Amino acid sequence: MGCENTGECHIGSEGDIVTCRKVIRNVATAAGFGMTDVTRIVTAVSELARNVYVHAESTGMMRWNILQQPGKVGIELIFEDQGKGIADIDQAMEAGFTTANSMGMGLSGVKRLMDEMLISSELGVGTTVRVVKWGRIK
Amino acid sequence: MPYINSHSNSRYISAFDKWQEQKDFVKFTKDDEEALKKMHPTAMKYADDFVEKLYEHLMSHPDTKRFLSDEKTLNRLKLAQKAYFLDLTSGDYGEEYFNSRLKVGIVHQRIGLPPRIYMTTYCYYMQLIIPTIYGNPDFDAETANAIFMALYKIINLDQELAISAYIHATDEVISRQSEEIMEMSTPVIQIWDGVVAAPIIGTLDSGRTQQFMERLLEKIVETNSPVALVDITGVPQIDTATAQHLIDTINAVKLLGSQVIITGVRPVIAQTLVHLGIDLTDIITRPSMAAGLKVALDKLSIKVTDMSKTTQGS
Ligand SMILES: Nc1ncnc2c1ncn2[C@@H]1O[C@H](COP(=O)(O)OP(=O)(O)OP(=O)(O)O)[C@@H](O)[C@H]1O
Ligand SMILES: [Mg+2]
Repeated sequence: MGCENTGECHIGSEGDIVTCRKVIRNVATAAGFGMTDVTRIVTAVSELARNVYVHAESTGMMRWNILQQPGKVGIELIFEDQGKGIADIDQAMEAGFTTANSMGMGLSGVKRLMDEMLISSELGVGTTVRVVKWGRIK
Repeated sequence: MPYINSHSNSRYISAFDKWQEQKDFVKFTKDDEEALKKMHPTAMKYADDFVEKLYEHLMSHPDTKRFLSDEKTLNRLKLAQKAYFLDLTSGDYGEEYFNSRLKVGIVHQRIGLPPRIYMTTYCYYMQLIIPTIYGNPDFDAETANAIFMALYKIINLDQELAISAYIHATDEVISRQSEEIMEMSTPVIQIWDGVVAAPIIGTLDSGRTQQFMERLLEKIVETNSPVALVDITGVPQIDTATAQHLIDTINAVKLLGSQVIITGVRPVIAQTLVHLGIDLTDIITRPSMAAGLKVALDKLSIKVTDMSKTTQGS
């Protein structure tokens, strides 16, 4: 069966956040990311999966793809939910902004942990967050 | 769809390409596939009748009847059973077949249907099938024997897959449970007069934090300890939620007049915390539990002397 280059996990409970982390830890390690990057990637997964679980008020999915390019390898993670959406994405990205009385550091932190980040969201329709981390092939 | 995801390293189920070796081992050859195919028209003829008889048999035993609760399930099962039966003589024993047989074991495990029922039901099945081979005017004795042998082999292969998948699924449940147990249990122990320590293994999600916090606070009061070491060596990553839980815990301890030292802060964790923009400057952190204990003992004005290095007085 070998190692697959793509896959998905359902996000509907707190336990699913643990599963998402575990899957991505294995996938990223197998793709050749070093320990530091793996920890960053897994932390980002934790933030984004938790955001779906806590804020979306609906279930969602995490999809992952391994990206191969000459000399480098990437991991693309897409978190998608059909939840309530984000009213103002720029504001949500600000460090300290939260509607849930938590730290409000998740999204701004993920931006620093990953290399690429793109959020699209529509109120009442849902939110999609795409992040990518690149690593050099050893 | 593969039922075994590639990230769970099963000790029990071999991948499809390995299953080929299994077929070779029982000498399941093209001839067997041909022999089974010859049986297919007969199988088609009797499929509905066999399925009915089989379920009648299952319904007449309390041990098996309890799995056949309502009419709707029953009808669905009968259809699945018919497809299963016809697959036996389809002549195609490729990846789809392989997966369908694994699925049987996995579903049985999930609904709690024990292997004994699966095995004995299969035996009953054989008793229905065999007479239609040997009593069949279309088959001469040689053909009938060839079909019987081929059927015997494919059923053996089937059973191996289903049972291995069953064990695999049980194994997964056990390993998931043991993970959960580990995540649930965080011991809080007194390691010195005035110092308690709590090594956290795994992640601190909200449910667990609540329990952990309660136990830590209780122990601090019970042992009257001014210092608590919370060791995060075994925490694989810290996200904002975990950090928030830690900060809440630290603040609660403060309210008791005691103090928390976070120990076991590994360099990667320190880096990700910085990236997340989480400020822990107000909190005493140390890279190891030993270093944390030193701080704790200093705070308590306890001096520990290495007796081997002091000159023994005469
Ligand atoms: N998937 C989502 N659906 C709806 N709203 C979201 C989603 N993700 C984030 N948000 C909104 O963006 C805000 C900022 O998110 P961010 O992750 O930065 O902080 P937080 O989740 O509130 O707190 P923290 O992550 O620090 O615990 C959230 O409070 C929420 O209002
Ligand atoms: Mg968040």
